[in-house]
Amino acid sequence: MNNEQQHALLRKMAQLMKSGLETQTEPFPETEKEFAAILDELRKLDANDVEAKMVISGFVDHPYGPDRQRCMECMYYLVHREWCDLPELAVPVDADWWCRLWRI
Amino acid sequence: MANLLWLQGGACSGNTMSFLNAEEPSACDLVTDFGINVLWHPSLGLELGDNLKKLLNALTSGQMPLDIFVFEGTVVNAPNGTGEWNRFAGRAMRDWVSDLCKVANFVVAVGDCATWGGIPATAPNPSESQGLQFLKRDQGGFLGKDYKSKAGLPVINIPGCPAHPDWITQIVVAVATGRAGDLTLDEFQRPKTFFTSFTQTGCTRNMHFAYKVSATEFGQRKGCLFYDLGCRGPMTHSPCNRVLWNRQSSKTRAGMPCMGCTEPEFPFFDLAPGTVFKTQTVMGVPKDMPSGVDKTGYIKLTAAAKAASPRWAEEDIFVV
Ligand code: SF4
Ligand code: SF4
Ligand code: SF4
Repeated sequence: MNNEQQHALLRKMAQLMKSGLETQTEPFPETEKEFAAILDELRKLDANDVEAKMVISGFVDHPYGPDRQRCMECMYYLVHREWCDLPELAVPVDADWWCRLWRI
Repeated sequence: MANLLWLQGGACSGNTMSFLNAEEPSACDLVTDFGINVLWHPSLGLELGDNLKKLLNALTSGQMPLDIFVFEGTVVNAPNGTGEWNRFAGRAMRDWVSDLCKVANFVVAVGDCATWGGIPATAPNPSESQGLQFLKRDQGGFLGKDYKSKAGLPVINIPGCPAHPDWITQIVVAVATGRAGDLTLDEFQRPKTFFTSFTQTGCTRNMHFAYKVSATEFGQRKGCLFYDLGCRGPMTHSPCNRVLWNRQSSKTRAGMPCMGCTEPEFPFFDLAPGTVFKTQTVMGVPKDMPSGVDKTGYIKLTAAAKAASPRWAEEDIFVV
């Protein structure tokens, strides 16, 4: 994916959330096993089906919860590439977004 | 000449294999350069049957001096405290161990099984295994917590699954050449020279740890193995990245997480699928933090590290 494609995809994802895409933000995986179960669901998807990935991983376009969790502090977030490096997601993300696979 | 006897209880021989690969010094150097007289060893000993019994009796009776007793593997107590599940040279191994520890100048426990009980002593521990002077984190073990060898030292613990070969030979040389007094032991009776620093000390992924860049798969040539793959390097005392394996590598350098094998709780995982080589988290935060760091500090540190992370931290910088 070149830079332009990446930005286009980021804009598309932002637009989907803005227009009210319902995603599964809860339940937040409390343990490693629950986390792995969500990853399993993601693996079954077509890697290009970004909308389905967003729904299952519970994307929102703002920080989430009392700890104001966001991609910026998540260990999968690559700051310079503005990219989620979690292999099951592998999508462009904004530092202020969040998904329930967040971990630090 | 220092007489050394090496016996093996409940074990896989991993520490013997490791020992035979030692390079600095090698197992041969022990004999040729440091005057160590290997009386018997499970893979090297020549005596069999009655001749071996004679040798062991000569040691336990005090007829022949025993300078260094090295034990590999657990003390097996099953069934019902008799030790009959692990017989050796005509009697329960635990009885030989007990008698030999009374006459030995120094006792060295090699590997996790001999030090803390290791894998055999993991619940439900059907072999009723114990380490020589510990059972996991509890001091005591088979010999009891007040045990001291004739030279006045407790059991010298060289943990690891297996222990690095040079930790074994270097400690044996120190003891055999009269420098045991220079050895200081930590609270788990591990020589401080090896077990004060962490596995992380010298790890080539340290900058990725600092900038919170995660390796997400084994063998990946960038990223730290802590965040995702369960590396225990920040809380494990071992010199694996200072005293390299085969002189050139370590688990973390090869892209494999440290499993914390030198700590008494090893193996940490409940071994259910998905728990091994995975950083266990509670609500997205690691269950085990690097030694000395708390949750609030960790979150603050992460925010600062991410904000400051240079572009190269995301590149593959391993060139070998
Ligand atoms: S896993 Fe979720 S929170 Fe973390 S960087 Fe990816 S999208 Fe953001
Ligand atoms: S790979 Fe392990 S030992 Fe190396 S820096 Fe990361 S946590 Fe530390
Ligand atoms: S890197 Fe960790 S698991 Fe591997 S030998 Fe060293 S202490 Fe043990």
